Amino acid sequence: MSHASPDNATEVQVAAALARCAAGDRPALRVIYDIEAQRMIGVARRMLRRQDLAEEAVQDTFMRVWRAAATFDPQKGAARGWLYAILRNSALSILRDESRFTSDEDAADQAAPMTESALSQLPETSALRRCLERLDPARRSVVVLSYVHGLSHGEMAGKLGVPLGTVKSWVRRSLISLQECMG
Amino acid sequence: MTDRDDKALAGEYVLGLLEGAAERDAERRFGSDPAFAREVEGWRARFAALDDTAVPHPAGDELWRKIEAGVPAAAARTTPSSGAWTRFWNNLAALRATALGASLATLVLAVGLGFAIRAASQQPTMVAVLLDGNRAGAVVHAFADGRVVLVPITSIAVPAGRALEVWTLPSRERGPVSVGLMNQARTLQLSLKDLPPPGTDQLFEITLEPATGSPTGRPTGPVLFKGNTALAL
Repeated sequence: MSHASPDNATEVQVAAALARCAAGDRPALRVIYDIEAQRMIGVARRMLRRQDLAEEAVQDTFMRVWRAAATFDPQKGAARGWLYAILRNSALSILRDESRFTSDEDAADQAAPMTESALSQLPETSALRRCLERLDPARRSVVVLSYVHGLSHGEMAGKLGVPLGTVKSWVRRSLISLQECMG
Repeated sequence: MTDRDDKALAGEYVLGLLEGAAERDAERRFGSDPAFAREVEGWRARFAALDDTAVPHPAGDELWRKIEAGVPAAAARTTPSSGAWTRFWNNLAALRATALGASLATLVLAVGLGFAIRAASQQPTMVAVLLDGNRAGAVVHAFADGRVVLVPITSIAVPAGRALEVWTLPSRERGPVSVGLMNQARTLQLSLKDLPPPGTDQLFEITLEPATGSPTGRPTGPVLFKGNTALAL
């Protein structure tokens, strides 16, 4: 993990606070908020584009974290990974609720810059970066556009100007390559 | 379904690309199929670095107030303030309340700190996570061969002319006993030679003291971090 990324100590702090949330300790939820909320808003904004919707996703996430803290099992995965999985799930629910979300701005953005800006932020030493860079640009973009920006198969097909089936097969092959590359 | 299909399916689930019945099916399997859940966790770990590329945006107190308003009030818990260290030592109820939180935190950290434990090349038999209410400051590992080691996990500011003193409470009759002194946060072998090996729920704490240690043989400065031992997993 790079110097720019949250380190192991951050993971340990979040895991400890989560355990205290599970025991009903409200100040521990604030601890998680103080450590992670700013970055969580950043993650949600990349998907939702709007500060108000991003805050809504973060608010929903903290409610869910409080209710489900006892179900977090540190033997199965990282505490921060768990937190961000819930956040992405909340943000996707808002994003997919098309009745209240317009993606006009979204459609205008070009796939390549959207992909490369996230990729360039990954630490040089990151295995994910090294393995994404081995994929050709179109295949790498479907991974980043879906994970970082919350685009669906159909939205990516539109943005990349290729058939839906092609996008689906790029995703599958990219995942298989990444899995082999990263182990 | 082949192994490779399942790996890719778990990946699509983590990317947020499954919809409708496929998504519900993956969610159900995440809860009921340990092999599939491991694939999902694997993908979450692989992609986690992308979350850390997001630019942080201000998260104000207003957002926190909304969250707080939606979180039901928890049962009253006794959390002694760090300033009230004398009452803390003398208040068994407070010790027990803190022990509950601290042992849960310990269970999590005993796993989360696997890297530190491997570095010690030996499994500790007992672990204590020392907290300040906001954050974990240090971990105490007690090993079967009698060594007890304190490992700081955050930086601790020590003003000039002061030192960090580590204490444990082997029994209420005996009271707090000094087991280590250092002028900065570092990994420290604690001296419990004259004490019985730590049991479960034994309190450890770090206080700020004069550079040569507490003049009274009892903690005199503010408690910086404290926590109770639990059996290591």
